[in-house]
Amino acid sequence: MTDATDKGAADTGVAQRYFIGEDDLRTLTGDLLAAGTEVIAPVAIDICQSPSAIAASACTRPGVAPVEIEYRRLASATELDLGRGLPELSLKGYFLPEHEALCRWHQHGTTVEVEPVPTEFAPRVVLAAKPCDSAALAVVDQVMNWDYHDELWNGRRAATTIINLACPVIDEGCFCTAVGAAPDDVKGADGLLTPVDGGYILEVTTEKGRALATAHEARLSADVPADTLGRQADDERAAVRARVAGNLEIDAASVRDWIDTHFEDPLLASLANRCNGCGACTSVCPTCHCFDIVDEEEGVGHGTRRRLWDTCQSPTFTLHASGHNPRDDQNVRYRQRINHKFSIYPLKFGEVLCTGCGRCTRVCHAGQDLIEILSEIDIAARRPRETEAGTPAEAGAAS
Amino acid sequence: MNIYQPQLATVTDLIDETIDTRTLRLEFLDEAVRESFDFKAGQFGEYSVFGAGESTFCIASPPTREGYIECSFKAVGKVTTALREVNRGDTVGFRGPYGNWFPVDEWKGKDIVFVAGGIGLAPVRCVIWNVLDRRDEFGDVTIVYGARSVDDLVYKRELEEWSSRPDITMVTTVDPGGETKDWTGDVGYVTPVVEKTAPKADNAVAVLCGPPIVVKLTLPVLGKLGFADEAIFTTLENRMKCGLGKCGRCNIGPVYVCKDGPVFTAAQLKQLPPEF
Repeated sequence: MTDATDKGAADTGVAQRYFIGEDDLRTLTGDLLAAGTEVIAPVAIDICQSPSAIAASACTRPGVAPVEIEYRRLASATELDLGRGLPELSLKGYFLPEHEALCRWHQHGTTVEVEPVPTEFAPRVVLAAKPCDSAALAVVDQVMNWDYHDELWNGRRAATTIINLACPVIDEGCFCTAVGAAPDDVKGADGLLTPVDGGYILEVTTEKGRALATAHEARLSADVPADTLGRQADDERAAVRARVAGNLEIDAASVRDWIDTHFEDPLLASLANRCNGCGACTSVCPTCHCFDIVDEEEGVGHGTRRRLWDTCQSPTFTLHASGHNPRDDQNVRYRQRINHKFSIYPLKFGEVLCTGCGRCTRVCHAGQDLIEILSEIDIAARRPRETEAGTPAEAGAAS
Repeated sequence: MNIYQPQLATVTDLIDETIDTRTLRLEFLDEAVRESFDFKAGQFGEYSVFGAGESTFCIASPPTREGYIECSFKAVGKVTTALREVNRGDTVGFRGPYGNWFPVDEWKGKDIVFVAGGIGLAPVRCVIWNVLDRRDEFGDVTIVYGARSVDDLVYKRELEEWSSRPDITMVTTVDPGGETKDWTGDVGYVTPVVEKTAPKADNAVAVLCGPPIVVKLTLPVLGKLGFADEAIFTTLENRMKCGLGKCGRCNIGPVYVCKDGPVFTAAQLKQLPPEF
């Protein structure tokens, strides 16, 4: 176990399997909290009790569930919600906070003192993460380490052990398997919980995951009969994959190349006809990582330089000081979002900047539907090649 | 090392180039940084006034002048307005150098034609001085510089110096209506003045920077004069925040201006989607 080299959260391919009862999982959570470890996990929040008037008003609307799932820092193990619902926001904010300090400054006359911010973080554990959310972290790892290493991102990644919970597939808006992720993925995570009779099969795949299992061996059983519990877990994993697969099937390589070569195609220009540029999609997206940097004065002569989530859907995102704006209408800004996720990022880093969580579609009040959009692009990407060269399969292989 | 934490620098000199354009000379506070700091002509940085924020400009002084860097900017936004308020002795922040550069070393033995419009002379000035500091290594040097009016010409003292040097063909022009009574330079837009000046394209490279309209109109003129797309270099100045390829706003199609640029050849520009 000790000689296995751990490259970040890399999956070593060797999964150690354990059984853990549901009560033991809560006890383990309690043990972590008792030891002072921060635990982040889905929590069911009664929105009728929300201090936010907007959120609370939703509970009186017909058809709206009065419960919202969010990833929260647990105060106690009883808060842990294992109902497998989709948290409203992804895990992104725990690695790239909505706003965070990059440094602080103190001005003394003409001199300035810059106070660094810590880039090392206390160990913490994420339990029952959605596989699409952990996979998103692994995807964003690439840009955060493109030549220059983002120490704030990397520090939080290194300090965090993530255990996923196999996703039952939320609704027809999920499409993880179409973009290279899966509802039972361990990508970006250190282990996976799969529900079986009486509890969960825990598979740990990285050094961090194994360390967590070793430290809590008392709550785990290494005796996983392959023909009963083991098979149940395998069957469940196969079942969830099969359940999501029909939601969307695209040839991601053809989509990537088509977007790259059809920048001015009317299809890309018309995709945003319903979009009014609010940026909610980028906010809920687990992979959208664009940010702004601003100075925040906190009194005379001192303050904090912060980075904040930003959105490519805002007109000011690319606005030059001269007044010139390279992306001066919503159609081109929406095209940018699609282009960045499904063409620019895969061309640069070999991975789609999307894990198919479907949050953007669910949150959009204008009805922008990413499944519909990707299907349209996929059809366009196959069409000319079908006429020229025969089958869509050939078109995919040619790219 | 937190890549977003700036180095501190002291403002050791400042020149008001025009009513709204200023040049600052900066020296790093940290002696080790001052000694080790190195960059290439065309690279840029993130300059900051604490409390106002960061802004992106090229380094306008050449790498052949050691011990300091200079930047020139027009006060139009929050940060540039704050930068215009600083005095000698004040402390500002700097992150960089970032991005690629003009391949000056590959131009040895060639003629070099510089074309700039307005504040677009700032990145070009870095290359001009870099070339002039190594004058023997290059062939003929031609500079065509234009601004809206005589008042809008930047680096006026340097323009005079370049005009008086026998080893430079210098043409300075102002837009029609921008001339004064005692103006002795050309009157006309940069593009037709380049065409009239007609620098020879054999064994030559062109360095072009200016407002988008100047770049757009001058590229075909340079082509007509015989410059190959691979021999025309320009620098793009998209809005940036991080300068490090992370914040996601400067890309033009698959190209990140901060990492893959800011220096591009005309051949590379033609490959980019029309979104800059």
